[in-house]
Amino acid sequence: MSTPIIEVSKLGKDFRAGHALVHALSDVSFAVTEGQFVTLVGPSGCGKSTLLQILAGLIGPTRGEVRIDGKRISAPIPEKISMVFQDPTLLPWKTALANVEFPLDLRGVARPTRRERCSALLELVGLREFAEHYPHELSGGMRQRVAIARGLAQDPRLILMDEPFAALDEQTRTRMGHDLLDIWEKTRKTVFFITHSLTEAIYLSDVVMVMSPRPGRILETIAIDFPRPRELDVIGSEAFGRVRNRIWHLIAEAEA
Amino acid sequence: MMRPRAIKVLIIAAASLAAWEAVVRLGLVSQIILAAPSAIVAAAATDGRVFLTAFATTVIEIVAAILIAWTLGIIVGVVAGSSNMLAAATAPVLSSIFAIPLIIVYPLLMAWLGIGPLSKVVFGVLSGFFPIALNTMDGVRAIERRYLVFARSIGATTLQTYARIIFPLALPSMVSGLRVGTGLVVIGVIVTEMLASLGGVGFLISYHRTLFNTGHVYFGMVLALMMAVAVNVGLTWLDRRVGRWRILERTDG
Repeated sequence: MSTPIIEVSKLGKDFRAGHALVHALSDVSFAVTEGQFVTLVGPSGCGKSTLLQILAGLIGPTRGEVRIDGKRISAPIPEKISMVFQDPTLLPWKTALANVEFPLDLRGVARPTRRERCSALLELVGLREFAEHYPHELSGGMRQRVAIARGLAQDPRLILMDEPFAALDEQTRTRMGHDLLDIWEKTRKTVFFITHSLTEAIYLSDVVMVMSPRPGRILETIAIDFPRPRELDVIGSEAFGRVRNRIWHLIAEAEA
Repeated sequence: MMRPRAIKVLIIAAASLAAWEAVVRLGLVSQIILAAPSAIVAAAATDGRVFLTAFATTVIEIVAAILIAWTLGIIVGVVAGSSNMLAAATAPVLSSIFAIPLIIVYPLLMAWLGIGPLSKVVFGVLSGFFPIALNTMDGVRAIERRYLVFARSIGATTLQTYARIIFPLALPSMVSGLRVGTGLVVIGVIVTEMLASLGGVGFLISYHRTLFNTGHVYFGMVLALMMAVAVNVGLTWLDRRVGRWRILERTDG
């Protein structure tokens, strides 16, 4: 087997908050194989976002190390890793298409090339007719689709998603999850996803990692083997409920 | 072809001018207080050349002062707004200076720079700089951290982050500052011309006032008004161009 795309070993992160030292992460180790959809769940404030920021190279760890594609990460590597945030963070003065093109524009990719690639990506996320719309003319779900297309624009190997659907209503959220799987099946990028929603985590993932309250540790790594492509009906199945319960108990016991 | 509306406006304007002329001619108001339209035209006819030179002087002073005030204000605002420490250090200083009627330092400027155009330009810059710098700083400080995280995640260089993300995001607030500041530049230049100077429209207004040449005073006022209106039209245009972002800012989320 080839080297995993993400290798995290004995990772720890401390913050200084005033005079107090906060242990955000402690002894976190795991590996992610290329092409997998991996989700991290855990209670609020357990250090999930901190872990994601370290994976992205935005902040450095206090202890341990992160290797992306075999190389130790110390700064963002946009050609390999892209991020999708809870807030789409689109540029309000640019159209949907121009927003998707923006990362390529900064890297000096010629306009015809990036236009072609980004139009295809907008089509992939189902927004072909909205290419010339501005963010304020799009719904919350559509904006997040633009952000996903933008995340794919640099053709990264790994996409880090920080609760991307948390701000959406439940209907839209479920729909977005379904469509994200569709996009993932087509692109087969490695996805590292953070969420509060156990249902979302189990429905989307190959692997769900459960994190403890602060200091965040990986309590358990659970392989989810519902067949793909998955339909939303799987959420109602008994097997799904069992996995959900198991994770719920893991988190509840850790919090107690 | 003229639309009925335009004809109506013309008739009202002509009637008002005629009434104005009549009021003065009939001696209802002293010619020293109110110059008749004919006197203003006469002033333009006799001393048009002098006024034209003065107009050019003032326009050059105003344009120079606007360019410098915009550049300095935006640079200082962006730099100060980029760092919490710098902002905390400069914001109180900038806003307290802005609260002072700056005209009190003009005597000093005259002593240092003389009564020529230089002191007018410097005073104009001083007048406009503070609101521009303050608003730009506020605009930069209001930018949410998520945009900067996004910029880093896509590998934007510092220059790209400023030019392509921070600057446009701060632009609406910056333009509010430019509106206020540019108006103050125009006022600053004309007022200091009136105080002490040897050229410019402000000087001519002040000079003819002492000679009771009310027609000339009014003609100078018309020229000053034209400059103010031209500046305002430009600013409104600018405001309208970024106006749409202001709406967007509120809804993007």
